Amino acid sequence: MKTTIKTLAVSAVAATALLGAGTAMAEGERYVLVSHAPDSDSWWNTIKNGLALAGEQMDVTVEYRNPPTGDLADMARIIEQAAASGPNGIITTLADPDVLSGPIRAAVESGIDVIIINSGTPDAARGLGALMYVGQPEYDAGFAAGQRAAGDGVSSFLCVNHYISSPSSTERCQGFADGLGVDLGNQMIDSGQDPSEIQNRVTAYLNANPDTDAVLTLGPTSADPTILALEQIGLAGEIYFGTFDLGGDIVNAIRDGVIQWGIDQQPFLQAYLPVVVMTNYHRYGVLPGNNINSGPGFVTADALDLVAELAGEYR
Amino acid sequence: MKPYDHNPVVEMRNIEKHFGPVIALNDVSFDIRPGECHCLLGDNGAGKSTFIKTMAGVHKPTKGEILFEGRQMNFDSPRDAMEAGIATVYQDLAMIPLMSVTRNFWMGREPIKRVGPFKFMDFKTANEVTMEEMRKLGINLRSPDQAVGTLSGGERQTVAIARAVHFGAKVLILDEPTSALGVRQTANVLSTIDKVRKTGIGIVFITHNVRHALAVGDRFTVLNRGKTLGTAQRGHITPEELQDMMAGGQEMVALEGSLGGTV
Amino acid sequence: MSSTDAAVDERIKETSKLRKALIRPELGAIVGTIAVFAFFIIFAGDSGMFNAQGVLNWSTVSAQFMIIAVGACMLMIAGEFDLSVGSMIGFAGMSIALISVTLQWPIWVAILLTFALCTAVGALNGIIVVRTGLPSFIVTLAFLFILRGFTIFFPQLIERRTIIGGISERAEGDWLAPLFGGKIGNGLFNWLAEMELIGVFTRGNRMGEPIVDGIPMLIVWAIGLMIVAHIVLTRTQFGNWIFASGGDAQAARYVGVPVNRVKIQMFMFTAFCACVFATCQVMEFGSAGADRGLLKEFEAIIAVVIGGALLTGGYGSVVGAALGALIFGVVQQGLFFAGVESSLFRVFLGVILLFAVILNTYIRRIITGER
Repeated sequence: MKTTIKTLAVSAVAATALLGAGTAMAEGERYVLVSHAPDSDSWWNTIKNGLALAGEQMDVTVEYRNPPTGDLADMARIIEQAAASGPNGIITTLADPDVLSGPIRAAVESGIDVIIINSGTPDAARGLGALMYVGQPEYDAGFAAGQRAAGDGVSSFLCVNHYISSPSSTERCQGFADGLGVDLGNQMIDSGQDPSEIQNRVTAYLNANPDTDAVLTLGPTSADPTILALEQIGLAGEIYFGTFDLGGDIVNAIRDGVIQWGIDQQPFLQAYLPVVVMTNYHRYGVLPGNNINSGPGFVTADALDLVAELAGEYR
Repeated sequence: MKPYDHNPVVEMRNIEKHFGPVIALNDVSFDIRPGECHCLLGDNGAGKSTFIKTMAGVHKPTKGEILFEGRQMNFDSPRDAMEAGIATVYQDLAMIPLMSVTRNFWMGREPIKRVGPFKFMDFKTANEVTMEEMRKLGINLRSPDQAVGTLSGGERQTVAIARAVHFGAKVLILDEPTSALGVRQTANVLSTIDKVRKTGIGIVFITHNVRHALAVGDRFTVLNRGKTLGTAQRGHITPEELQDMMAGGQEMVALEGSLGGTV
Repeated sequence: MSSTDAAVDERIKETSKLRKALIRPELGAIVGTIAVFAFFIIFAGDSGMFNAQGVLNWSTVSAQFMIIAVGACMLMIAGEFDLSVGSMIGFAGMSIALISVTLQWPIWVAILLTFALCTAVGALNGIIVVRTGLPSFIVTLAFLFILRGFTIFFPQLIERRTIIGGISERAEGDWLAPLFGGKIGNGLFNWLAEMELIGVFTRGNRMGEPIVDGIPMLIVWAIGLMIVAHIVLTRTQFGNWIFASGGDAQAARYVGVPVNRVKIQMFMFTAFCACVFATCQVMEFGSAGADRGLLKEFEAIIAVVIGGALLTGGYGSVVGAALGALIFGVVQQGLFFAGVESSLFRVFLGVILLFAVILNTYIRRIITGER
């Protein structure tokens, strides 16, 4: 049985070391942000940074949690877990109201303040008893982008959906189609999350449908491989290209003229503001009277420098 | 009581087995009587495996007939042969080492105990019978729960033999039971064979070790290149003669006399 | 040769009763469970992990793992793998959603049809494996893709969405739905709340009611499946056939064990467990998503391996697998309670898996005499 004891001792030591590294203790309130993003989604790094910065500035404990595979049912459990650990507030997304509204409402009713960010709508947030909604209404943002593209003469497009199982992703594509005034039909593809697969599927679609006017991507996960695909088939700068969300490669592509515009929902604010709002609410009882729209803002080649400098970090 | 006074349990007449162009068995005749140990000797590749698989119902003979207790039999599967009373203990396929002795012993024929509408395996009976049958063959198990993997090679052979005996085998085919064993283990297995023979079961003992065969055999049949080189009775043949026959049969003519005209 | 030769080998030491009771397939999982609980009681004891809400949280997550781990364990002991479990979960949930919401058929019809469909797919998995002799790893990998593909394709084709909601409304008043989505022990928890032993809602229209108002059927299913599977495996003839099929299929066939039938039935049982998981999830959350159950097949296999089963079959324990699932669930949720950075979860998981396998191998060698 010697081996057993040794095994246990080693694992306990290893676990303790990791535990120390993982916890950032601070005085005062504790807030937990639960996202719906799988570990592989790099866009959420900005959210993590915004959260950490707000925690530092407000001197509160902040924790970031997410379902490792992006399974929303797992996310529901994480919200329940967060509620059970008794934080002062929970900041979470409403990626699927059916799955998440139960746990969120239970958290609210057990006395924990909740702010809905990113996915969701102001109405849904109010319905759950959340303090407010901070984010970018997805359909509206897609619609605005569609109208802008229609003004630039676009009449057909390809929507590269890398997160097909999230309704909000589909809403962006649908809003864009409605903004253009065309039927979505088969213009949305399920690209998967793997960069080379996305690249190949975009290439294949554009080869099969050479009269496509525009490409719409839903974030860096799909935009970065799409940029490569367009460069490879010689359409970079030729085809009308818009994207949701920003990232390092997207900013460079906007500067190079490959991407016409990026819709910035300013995720930094979605993590930073709820912490600030809730801390002030819990300390001084003050609360803004309305929801906060963190986006959409169109980022174009003009005035790109600050964005470029901080892309992927705070932008 | 001399075993060869009885009528044969199994009689194989003029068996031929072809695999495509290869003639694995050519006109082989063989019989086994109750309570005797009939040794089947032969070098590697002599056709011993093919022959016992034919007897055990794994292969169907291309030509020839198999008589079981005087009636002509046509085994479609090893299961048929087993039902009839021909049990085979293969060298490596007999036991599952990860499972307990009891589970192995009863595998496929588990005793059932009813509790209301549910049927459970009757472990109490199973364990008792297993221990008892093993004791009869001279092995005291530590526990019927112990995995077969913890047993020695000889003990594993004994479990397989005890199993066949318990389930009413009339003929027991042992495929090279001693080939992978040490001296002491071999002695144990040979003594087990002797015990089983005394209960009236006919044993076919396949081996290529002449000394092992002579230790327990009542009759000896040598296979070489798919043919029988004859059957000899105990006391009518010397180890050297058997060895020579296995080696190639060049001395067959010279041996004919000493074999008592049974070629 | 006299029978004294065959007496007990004097070199084998008499083993004590205690040692015999300890050395069992579940030992590694039992040790692991104790270690994990000790760890979290020390590091997260005051974090809410062990109040009613916290306990319900990790036991629900563990119960989920347990349901699929029981199926995977039985199948693994029978010598096969099923990598399509995760996809099957998504597929089953979507099937219930499409039948009940899109076709507007009653929920109980949707549930029964889905169970029939899933066990049929399980049987198909099994038939292909035993007929072709291909490794189940490959065959079920194919079904991992096929089922996931359909799970995305059909709702997209029919509803233009990949998440279908509205199942809760359809399930109201249904006789079968509470068997999966309901809770039991309501009275007990109300009483506990009245005695102020557990927390209550402090606002909203459920104010004063206990936050934990019952034990979800998910947990009841998990424990029920574990007990039934354990009894079948260890106490019945069929259980012996499962061990035999996985231990050495050829040897089992020689003595008349219907190995192919056993394996096909185990594939069906695994699919059944995945379907129970999916139905409970759909009934609780009221929606089915195309990405549900992603990677769950590996989580099930990890739980089974932590529980002491041999990857190549023929050896293992359902109780061990259930404890493996418990360890998995407690660690996954407990790290959050302990405030550990969530990306380190996989590191912990890998460490636990590695130590569990090393320990289990050591124990197994003692039991089975492997070298």
